[in-house]
Amino acid sequence: MTDEDTDSEADHEDVWVFVEEHAGEVAGVSWELLAKGRELADETGQDLVALVVGEGVEAVGEAAVERGADRALVADDPVFEPYRAGPYGDQFRALVEDRRPSIVLIGGTTTGRDFAGRVAVPASAGLTADCTELDVDDDGLLLARRPTFGGDAMATIKCPDHRPQMATVRAGVFDAAARDPDREGDVESVDVVVEEADALSRVLDREVGDVADITDADVVVAGGGGTDGDFAPLEALADALDGEVAASRKAVDEGWIEPARQVGQTGKTVRPDLYVAAGISGAVQHVEGMNDAETVVAVNTDPNAPIFEHADYGIVGDLHEVLPELTERLGGERPPEPTA
Amino acid sequence: MTADWTIVVPVKQVPDADDVTIDPETGTLNRSDAPAVLNAPDYNAVEAALSLRERAGGEVVAVTMGPPFARAVLETAVALGADDAVLLTDRAFGGSDTWPTSLALARAADELDADVVVCGEESTDSSTGQVPPGIAAHNGWAQLTYAEDLEPRPDDGELVAVRDVEGGRERVAAETPVVVAFEYGENEPRAAGLHRKIYAETEFEPEEWSAEDLGIGDEVGLVNSPTKVGGMDTADRVDREQEVVEDVDALADRIAEVTADD
Repeated sequence: MTDEDTDSEADHEDVWVFVEEHAGEVAGVSWELLAKGRELADETGQDLVALVVGEGVEAVGEAAVERGADRALVADDPVFEPYRAGPYGDQFRALVEDRRPSIVLIGGTTTGRDFAGRVAVPASAGLTADCTELDVDDDGLLLARRPTFGGDAMATIKCPDHRPQMATVRAGVFDAAARDPDREGDVESVDVVVEEADALSRVLDREVGDVADITDADVVVAGGGGTDGDFAPLEALADALDGEVAASRKAVDEGWIEPARQVGQTGKTVRPDLYVAAGISGAVQHVEGMNDAETVVAVNTDPNAPIFEHADYGIVGDLHEVLPELTERLGGERPPEPTA
Repeated sequence: MTADWTIVVPVKQVPDADDVTIDPETGTLNRSDAPAVLNAPDYNAVEAALSLRERAGGEVVAVTMGPPFARAVLETAVALGADDAVLLTDRAFGGSDTWPTSLALARAADELDADVVVCGEESTDSSTGQVPPGIAAHNGWAQLTYAEDLEPRPDDGELVAVRDVEGGRERVAAETPVVVAFEYGENEPRAAGLHRKIYAETEFEPEEWSAEDLGIGDEVGLVNSPTKVGGMDTADRVDREQEVVEDVDALADRIAEVTADD
């Protein structure tokens, strides 16, 4: 990149948060980023701006103001529904180049991680992936911390000379911003710069069910390779404890459970009161996503599995025997016997 | 088949994840001690590319950016079935973050006249997943990330992908040229054939391109990387009780204590 592309830092201000919406549902990570963005904006004396892209999304802009944004920018057009990287990226980039924010936070969802580069590359912005901690230094520079080397180490990434400083942020690492219906702020409808004729792709069909939100659960019962694909004992225990079922990457890759329930480096970070890891060996990539749990319980047939080092209470045994018994002791219903 | 596709597969040499250690004194990573291997998700990318070649016709060219010894991963790709390979090697590339890295790969893909670029989902060492969209953005090409399955439609100049999206799946048709990030573990990479393996290790020589060859001599490297690593430390280890209980009753008691507070 050449020097002409590089804007001086002083020209850029405000903290932007992308509010991700699909078919009327806002991704939970967006409210989490509004809470963290509010903190960063207050610390540096800047405004917090929510950016909403979609069709019929003015109410989402208003909701973002209620959750802490000073104002919202709304790009509303049928071209944005359903989501595609090109239209989102082009619109977002045009706004970034026109309005010049200093910091831009995007949820580390498949959507956020898909289009963020289409903004950062042409804008010559610094983009840090999958952050789990955010802070600002004394000069107001964003300190984006992210796990690296499969979670063995944490790297702090800075973007000293380029603006905006962009980051995708993992879901579940911050508390969601609370709603205050009395909060007021401007919801501005911005010019849409994207035309359908310019789009490089079209969505042929899209099937999206309920998006499980494991990041808010007080109890998470997670299964791995040791389930052998049978999650019934986990579901029964989760029911008894009013919790959610989650999984390791292994179980997701095997197709046993949907990706939205994956905990760990390439999945989500959860912060429940109780995390039960059943049939999960305890690779660092997984442990990283459950480190914020208050109490961890491990069930594994292998007494040497690393998961026991990361658990408060462990039991050596087969989850297919241990979990149903445990479920019964805790007042729940035993799962049906497997028929196969 | 009216149009043969040029399918470019960017691959990365990474330290073998199992062998990366952390120096307990300094807290830094001993990545140099670990043997360098082909990034695991790139096996899925190579497989996806070979499968596209079988259905659409054409050739598969592997590309990597790295020091001269990074050619080892190109040999791996050729052994698996890639027709050719290019090594982007130049001191000027040193210290590049994802911005210049994706620029170099984008220029190489353009130079090779790529119809489709198939990347792995992310690298196991830095796991940003930012390079595939970066390549697409630098070239203004379409992109299909988190792809689980590909259907070539060369006669229409299109590639269709089944994409994993939050809570479900979608099918998207994109115009070529297009950049794919293929999801880790979503296909079964084939094993290298013996003859191909011998060819890759003995006869095969990758082409070598410098930053100047790509016309980006002053746009790459540390100095042209917007992000800087400000420090590295070992992840805080969370202290846990590590108590192994004898039976389910004891475990149920502990859980009842934890959940009773609500």
